[in-house]
Amino acid sequence: MSKALLDYILKKEHHKFRINAPEFAEEYKEKGLSPIERMTDRFEKLCSLETPHFLPEEKICFVRTIKNIPDCFTEDEWAELKDKYFIHELGYLSNLSPDYEDIIKCGLLAKRETANEYQKRSIDAILGLVNRYKEEAIKEGKPEIARVLERVPAYGATSFIEALQSFRIVHFALWLEGNYHNTVGRLDKYMYPYLKADMEKGLYTEETALALVEDFFLSFNKDSDLYVGVQQGDNGQSLMLGGIDKDGNEVFNLLSKLCLQASKNLLLIDPKINLRVNKNTPVETYVLGSELTKAGLGFPQYSNDDVVIDGLVKLGYDREDACEYVTAACWEFIVPKVGADVANIGALNFPKVVDNALHKHLLTSETYDDFAKEVKKEINAECDIICGNLKDLWFVPSPFMSVMCNNDTIWNGGKYNNFGIHGTGVATGADSLAVIKKYVFEEKSISKEELLDAVDTNFENAPELLHKLRYEAPKMGNNIDFVDDIAVWLLDTFSDALKGRKNCRGGIYRAGTGSAMFYLWHANEIGASPDGRLKKEPFGTNFSASIFADIKGPLSVIKSFSKPHFENAINGGPLTLEFHNSMFKDEDSVEKVAMLVKSFVELGGHQLQLNAVNLETLKDAQAHPEKYQQLVVRIWGWSAYFVELDKEYQDHVMLRQEYTL
Amino acid sequence: MTGTVFDIKEFSLHDGPGGRVTVFLKGCPLRCKWCHNPEGLKKESQLLVKTAQCTNCGLCKKGCHHLECQPFGRCIKVCPKNLVRICGTEYEAKDLANKILEYSDFFELNNGGVTFSGGEPLLQHEFVKEVCSHLENVHKAIQTSGYADEEVFKSTIKCFDYVMMDIKIADREKHREFTGVYNDVILKNFQFLKNSGIPYIIRVPLIPDITDTEENLKGISKIVGTSPVELLSYNQMAGAKYESVGMQYSLTNDKNKEPDLSIFKNAILSK
Repeated sequence: MSKALLDYILKKEHHKFRINAPEFAEEYKEKGLSPIERMTDRFEKLCSLETPHFLPEEKICFVRTIKNIPDCFTEDEWAELKDKYFIHELGYLSNLSPDYEDIIKCGLLAKRETANEYQKRSIDAILGLVNRYKEEAIKEGKPEIARVLERVPAYGATSFIEALQSFRIVHFALWLEGNYHNTVGRLDKYMYPYLKADMEKGLYTEETALALVEDFFLSFNKDSDLYVGVQQGDNGQSLMLGGIDKDGNEVFNLLSKLCLQASKNLLLIDPKINLRVNKNTPVETYVLGSELTKAGLGFPQYSNDDVVIDGLVKLGYDREDACEYVTAACWEFIVPKVGADVANIGALNFPKVVDNALHKHLLTSETYDDFAKEVKKEINAECDIICGNLKDLWFVPSPFMSVMCNNDTIWNGGKYNNFGIHGTGVATGADSLAVIKKYVFEEKSISKEELLDAVDTNFENAPELLHKLRYEAPKMGNNIDFVDDIAVWLLDTFSDALKGRKNCRGGIYRAGTGSAMFYLWHANEIGASPDGRLKKEPFGTNFSASIFADIKGPLSVIKSFSKPHFENAINGGPLTLEFHNSMFKDEDSVEKVAMLVKSFVELGGHQLQLNAVNLETLKDAQAHPEKYQQLVVRIWGWSAYFVELDKEYQDHVMLRQEYTL
Repeated sequence: MTGTVFDIKEFSLHDGPGGRVTVFLKGCPLRCKWCHNPEGLKKESQLLVKTAQCTNCGLCKKGCHHLECQPFGRCIKVCPKNLVRICGTEYEAKDLANKILEYSDFFELNNGGVTFSGGEPLLQHEFVKEVCSHLENVHKAIQTSGYADEEVFKSTIKCFDYVMMDIKIADREKHREFTGVYNDVILKNFQFLKNSGIPYIIRVPLIPDITDTEENLKGISKIVGTSPVELLSYNQMAGAKYESVGMQYSLTNDKNKEPDLSIFKNAILSK
């Protein structure tokens, strides 16, 4: 990699080029412009406001100089739109995996031939900016860059560097158009042919190719601070490596390996590395993955082809599309190019449905089965509410995104228009039900009134009961069928509750095991819970054991969390395992971790997030942030610089570590 | 028959080949000054209190009526943070074997198995042998100080696929000074192990100024000859658990000296 470029970006020197764009919304409103006209006009204006700059030793250019993306609509107009439609998050398209492959191969001018008026204007706008970059390159004596820009993205790429530059420009354009969580997709699949051809021509060695991939990865970090999600770092630049193609052939190739190495060498939070594996994946691939885990970025996140593809097919995806699956911003499984799923549109709060049933029906339930029936009704009722709210979904039309998705109406839906619903706090829900089943109904050692009273008073007068429920009761994560079976039942019930429902775009609903930020938000919707969780204590992140559960070890966790029928709950949401970073100190240990991940896959787990952390370092970083500017931690589906997080999120990461295996 | 176990650790990384589960047996005849498992020394169950996170709320000292708490004078069923625990669980051999067999699929997938450690597992040799008799298809390893009656040593290690045996100090008197026992029987047992045909490794803990001296390493090299040796770097956290069992750690937290591997014919160094 270029050290000069890395330092320049880390020191944020390019921020000096940044300017603020003026607001457009009032003008658009006055003129009564249509949404698509506004999007097109805004993109044209922003492209012309951008100023070409080259960073030191940069081979892949384009850097954002406009700080803000001014809104297309005024606040009043948004209020009106929200009255009329369901607006998801910011209202602009997000979490899509566009067709980079085709654009890189054919070029934008080929797309222009079949484009509509708005798409043409958008293509012209970005090519206009490319042209200004090219002229600046000539002026600054950078003939190599100028030559590449002469070719891409107007025309198809003819070399690896052109392909990378073409990607960089269209990805840049997607952000500038106002779309967000713009994922990267199967980079090793669509980019490898260019590298392979160049290597056959003798243009690269593995070493020089790695250096170029590193420079390319640096480009994801130039503007990423402008792509703010719930927190800094939550920007959705997820990249998927490995896995099988539609014919069942392994995709993992030299470029996949170089990507894993580049991420390890750079230690930056973008792009976010995912790795697809399956029962045929060789140990060496897992070893490469574990070496990256050791670096402490929370990469790679693993997905199991054997489970995910069948799960998607069962939901109605064509097998050849399912074989191409990637992850959305965090871990939601989506299909590139043709998919327009909204994979994070809602969330079911498992502990809350248990809490509802507890307060409404425990006293009147005679058996655990009676009570479980009430929980099932609550889940159905909650799904009624979640799905009932999702009417008339509307997205701001994005012409350039639609060029990238082979579909001029992507904002009205694609080939797949399914809605993903997260499931928060499965372990807390299952542990709570296990307490009710075991102590209230089977052993009858705790009375219904006693349990209700303890939960409602936050266990303040019942320290012995708290201890029993918190530390002696069976917990998910210890490979105890009694409680794990309840978790399986909860997920089955959730997916059954969504089955058969049609969403407002003609798609279906997908149940999932992720939590996103709901592990904090949802936890505040209820008080204490029957598993001994106190009021205000958060749930585990995504699909993981309750954070205070006394867990035997990673083998039991993996067993517990591979029991559910994931083919029925395949929206995504990884089991999260955290290891102390000292576990990775020698090669032998890295190999053992690799074998452990392989076991997880062979036992039928669907998705795994493995983190190497050190609590002492985190404590010191909270006290002395200035010393830890580059310290990275994993949050829920993305990695972030620890010191840039709100304290609430820092604290949760640290709380998780106290129970590190 | 029953035995006392103080911990079962899943996925222990430095306890033998592949992915392993380690069973720690309670009780040890040695008193090595650097022991990092002080809770494994006494054969009987004992109270373990993690004092670092204690807020002194006093709940555990209020007195209770639980039978199991009576011997300890503290309530183990009330701490809001679960810091007051009993260390040492009694198992029927068959039950412990069944617990280990639950991991069979992992052992197979990770080319691993079970490791018996301690404490000194040979102190409960009858129990260990009985557990092993139920684990026919599991790869079994043992970590031992080698301090046991010769017949006990011979009959027990025969149950194992891999033996990790310590030779800590070559000099007889120094061995007694720092571990509480003479090393005569250990050296005899080593001779048996060497000729037993069972795969093994000799482990030498590097304790600053005690075992990591050139004199000691040369002495050990002379004893072990071409046997495979693993030198274990000093665990600077070795003293961490002493307070929780009401003991004091007497050694330093310094690093060991970088050993000269060429003293040995066949040694590796583990950090």
